[in-house]
Amino acid sequence: MNRLRHLFNVYGAVLAAVPKFYTAYRAWVWMEFVVQILAMVVLYFFWQAVYASGGALGGLTFQQTINYVMLAQMLMPLVENRLIFNFGWMLREGQIAIDLLRPMDFQARLYVDAVGNLFLNLLVKAPLLIMAVVFFQVQLPRDVTTWLVFIVALALGHAVMFFFDWIFSCLAFYSTETWGLSVVRVAVVTFFSGAIVPLQMMPHWLQTTANLLPFAQSVYVPVSFLSGVTPSSAAAQAWLIQLAWLIGLGVISRLVFRRSLRKITVQGG
Amino acid sequence: MSIIHVQDLSKVYRIVEKDPGLAGSFKALFRPRYKDILAVDRISFTIEPGELVGYIGVNGAGKSTTIKMLTGILLPSGGAVRVLERDPYQQRVPNARDIGVVFGQRSQLWWDLPLIESLNFIQRIYEIPPASFKRRLDEFAETLELKALFGTPIRNLSLGQKMRAELAATLIHDPQVVYLDEPTIGLDLLVKERIREFIKAQNRQRNVTVILTTHDLGDIEEICQRVIMIDAGRIIYDGPLSLIKARFGKFREITLETASPIGLFALPTGAEIVQQADQRLTLRFDRTVTTASQVAAAIMNQLEVADFSLAEPDLASIVKQIYSGALHA
Ligand SMILES: Nc1ncnc2c1ncn2[C@@H]1O[C@H](COP(=O)(O)OP(=O)(O)OP(=O)(O)O)[C@@H](O)[C@H]1O
Ligand SMILES: [Mg+2]
Repeated sequence: MNRLRHLFNVYGAVLAAVPKFYTAYRAWVWMEFVVQILAMVVLYFFWQAVYASGGALGGLTFQQTINYVMLAQMLMPLVENRLIFNFGWMLREGQIAIDLLRPMDFQARLYVDAVGNLFLNLLVKAPLLIMAVVFFQVQLPRDVTTWLVFIVALALGHAVMFFFDWIFSCLAFYSTETWGLSVVRVAVVTFFSGAIVPLQMMPHWLQTTANLLPFAQSVYVPVSFLSGVTPSSAAAQAWLIQLAWLIGLGVISRLVFRRSLRKITVQGG
Repeated sequence: MSIIHVQDLSKVYRIVEKDPGLAGSFKALFRPRYKDILAVDRISFTIEPGELVGYIGVNGAGKSTTIKMLTGILLPSGGAVRVLERDPYQQRVPNARDIGVVFGQRSQLWWDLPLIESLNFIQRIYEIPPASFKRRLDEFAETLELKALFGTPIRNLSLGQKMRAELAATLIHDPQVVYLDEPTIGLDLLVKERIREFIKAQNRQRNVTVILTTHDLGDIEEICQRVIMIDAGRIIYDGPLSLIKARFGKFREITLETASPIGLFALPTGAEIVQQADQRLTLRFDRTVTTASQVAAAIMNQLEVADFSLAEPDLASIVKQIYSGALHA
């Protein structure tokens, strides 16, 4: 009980701090808005043209596809993790010294921070969601179950992606090429997570590859529930797979970080 | 029972040597050439609760490296550290709860937010009871003159104000050990004075153990009873400040500029040459043997002196003298 209150105090403070930094980038949020509306227009007409001859694609109807691509578009923040930039900056500036000396788990702190940021990013996108429903025919589920299934899948998928990025970001300890690394990462993750097209539409060998990688857990799995591509009856199995990824990557990320930490020299002073 | 225990502690930094240019980067990637820098070399000391220790040495001596190992953010290459009966590297988080650290070159405060936001965050993550937090805040508002600054974003604070804020953030959770790595760097005398008073008062009232690095011997003189001196990674002196003062406090250096090139002259009694250039002469003399005016007069009798100045020996020259055996003599 005390332990719980302790965790609540400490990480609650971290969570409460997130919006204080978020507002600093408001101008940037508006820019993104414009870009995303344009993206929705393009997506809509593109898929309308693709489906013009009628029928289904990869077993998906036009309605399912439009639901999927629009909602996936909104979950883009999952793909754009800044962790490696954070690491790179903290190491270069030696600021990591300050963060390592906070009386809390370094990784847990950044995880809570990432959760807070994801939540805010999605909140900011609520108007876009409404636009998607009103102007672009997106249909959202009307039953609570599907929403719950989605939210759990999203939380698990986000954690999977966080741990992957954690492992990936530890490369910053060994190389200063964080920018190049992150460009490659965004490209690979965007594609294989199913953020652009649902996995069903990919050629067989690409689907297989995508399933061997963790990225689909973060976008494809939650979005396919919300868009009606996967029925919520398949939830238990999907969650278990996500959980397996989460535990596997979680353990590896701790080990990799421990290893990397031995290497830091904390510049400056 | 010692609070800090350091035994044969060493740190070797391994850096990749790189030839200039793109080809050099490429080569370094595939065939790295390493160079080892021995920054701290088998140092040992113990510190008792409530001690105020000055940790001094010239640039690059290994002070910050030692502090980083004591705080647990840098893995030692050899030897052992124990702080409050823990290994600070292996038990970094529990250790962090009981210590406070100021790195003079960086900040733990949130740059864009008012000072009070950072302090409130610290209250929550250290779980400081609200009553004692309030009491400490009021106390610091007074002793560090922070009252008017709580609402100011850190980016709008001056260097001196920022350092005072930094000290408040470091001590508000009532740590048992505080490491201050150059807390007075770049500050004017008035602010330095206030910070010194504050550190001494915290030590007196709460028996907090302080380890302080600085290049300002005034800090040491005012705050510390004990001095540990490090040079090229080795401890060359560990003992009371009074001994150093007794040995070196009696020396003064006088620098004379002459109107014409210095010819032959007789050295005044009790003085020795530190440096001699074409028209410039630096002498050291023992204050207990002779006086500044005697030395100056003796020289002025022989040479045409345009200007002269008097100085206490600085850290570098003390280090040099310790090497030449002055302390053991
Ligand atoms: N991150 C690092 N990587 C490689 N070498 C380092 C690193 N940090 C310090 N060094 C080297 O280790 C030695 C000791 O450095 P350190 O920072 O401990 O000195 P210092 O006593 O704090 O000096 P200063 O008074 O200038 O702050 C120096 O030779 C320095 O060049
Ligand atoms: Mg230093």
